[in-house]
Amino acid sequence: MHNNTKEGIIEVIQAVVPITVVVVLLQLFLISMPWLLFSRFLIGVIMVMTGMFLFLQGVKIGLLPMGEAIGAELPKRGSMTFLLFFAFVLGFMVTLAEPDVWVLVGYVDTVSEGLVNRYILVLFVALGVGIFVTLAMLRIVLNVPIAYLLAGGYIIILILSFFTPADFVPISFDAGGVTTGPVTVPFILALGLGVTAVLGGRSSFNDGFGLIGLASIGPVLGVMILGIIYS
Amino acid sequence: MKELLDFLYIGHVLAEVMIAIGPLVGFFLFFQLVYLKLSKEYVINLFKGVVLAVTGLTLFLQGVKVGFLPVGTQMGEIMNSFEQLWILIPIGFLLGLVATVAEPAVRILCDNVEKASSGSIGFRLLLAILSLGVGIFVALGIAKIIFGISIYYIIIPGYIIALILMKFCEQSFISIAFDAGGVATGPMTVTFVMAVALGLADAMEGRSAVADGFGLIALVAMAPILSVMMVGAVMNFVKRSS
Repeated sequence: MHNNTKEGIIEVIQAVVPITVVVVLLQLFLISMPWLLFSRFLIGVIMVMTGMFLFLQGVKIGLLPMGEAIGAELPKRGSMTFLLFFAFVLGFMVTLAEPDVWVLVGYVDTVSEGLVNRYILVLFVALGVGIFVTLAMLRIVLNVPIAYLLAGGYIIILILSFFTPADFVPISFDAGGVTTGPVTVPFILALGLGVTAVLGGRSSFNDGFGLIGLASIGPVLGVMILGIIYS
Repeated sequence: MKELLDFLYIGHVLAEVMIAIGPLVGFFLFFQLVYLKLSKEYVINLFKGVVLAVTGLTLFLQGVKVGFLPVGTQMGEIMNSFEQLWILIPIGFLLGLVATVAEPAVRILCDNVEKASSGSIGFRLLLAILSLGVGIFVALGIAKIIFGISIYYIIIPGYIIALILMKFCEQSFISIAFDAGGVATGPMTVTFVMAVALGLADAMEGRSAVADGFGLIALVAMAPILSVMMVGAVMNFVKRSS
C-alpha cells in the first residue's frame, strides 16, 4: 500500500511536471501574461495532479477490481451471446469513466458554442467503443487476423471522413485518442483475457494485443456518424 | 484574489462525474446482487476506491475547466500576436518531446517492445524515436493551425503510410503499434496543450477554433503508431537481409 502510494505520486509528477516547467519558462521569457491569470494555471496544475493521483488510486482500489469481478464472471456463464452483450455494456460504461473524454467534450462544448450537445457527443463516443470492443471479442472467437480488422476500420474511417462535415472531422479523430486512457485500457485487456479463457487453449498472448487499437476506431466512426446525422 | 473563487463552484463538474462513474458502479451492483455475491467487507473496500475516484475526477476536471482552459486559450491568443509565428513550431516540438520522455505509459510501451523484439530494439532507442515522433507531430499540429492546413492532409497520408507499413511488419508489431496510439496522449497534452491550440486557432484571422483548433490529440495519437511500425519494418528488413 505504502509503496503503491509512492509509485502513484511519482507517476503523476512525471506526467505533469515536464510540460509545467516548459510553460513556466515560456511565461517568464516569452509570454508574460498577468500573474493573477497565470496563478490560475498553477492552481490548475496542483488540482490536476492531486485529482489524477486520487483518481488513479481510486481506479486501482475500486473500479478495476469491480471490472475484474464482472470480467471473471462473464466467461463462467459459458454463453458467448451473454459475454458479447456484456462486453458491449462494459465497453460503453468504462468509456464514460474516462477523464479525457470529458475534457474533450467540455472543450468542444465551450469552444463551439453549441455545435453539439456534450451528452450526445459522449453517448456516441461510448457507443463507438462499446461496439468495437464487442467486435474485438468476436474477432478472437472467429479467429480473424487483427490486421484485417484494423485495416478495414481505418479504410472505413478514410471513406467516411469525406462525407463528414468539416467541423466534425478533427473532433472525431481526437475522440479516438482520448478513449485509450487509464480506465479503458486495463478493462479491455481483462475482457480479452476472459474471452480467451472461455475458448480455452487458444494463444492468449497474440489475442490480447491489438484490442486497444481496435477500440479506438469506434469513437472516430461514432463521432463521424453523429456529424453526418447533424448536418 | 477574489477572481480565483470560481475554483470553488464545482456543482456542474460534480454532476458530470456522477454520470461518468455512476453507470459502472451501478452495473457492478447489479452483478453483485445477481451473480457475484461477494462478501460485504470486500464491497465496502471497493467503495472506498469509488469515493477516491469521484473526488479525484472532480478535482481533475475542475482544475482543467477553471484553471487550464482559460489560461491556455489566453496563452494561445498572446502567442498569436508574436511577430514571428514560426517560433511556435519549435515550441510545439519541445512540448511534445518533454511530455513523452517522462510519460509513464510510454515507458511501459518501450519495455513491452523491448521484450517483444527479444531485446533487439532497446528501451532507450525506442524512447528516443517515440519522443521525437510526438515532438514532430505536435509541431505539425501547430503548423497546421498557423498555415491553415486541413487535418485531412496530415491524417490521411499518415494512415495510408500506416496501412502500407502493416505489410512490412510482423503481426505482433502491428498490434503493439496500434495499441500504442493512446500512450502519448498524457494528461497535460490533452488538457493544456489542446487549450493553447484552441486559443491560437480562435485568435488567428481566418481560422476557426472548431475546424482548426481540434485535431492535436489525433496527431499525437498517430505518432507512436507510425514510429513503432517504422521500427518494426526496419527490424524486419534487417532480419531478412542478414
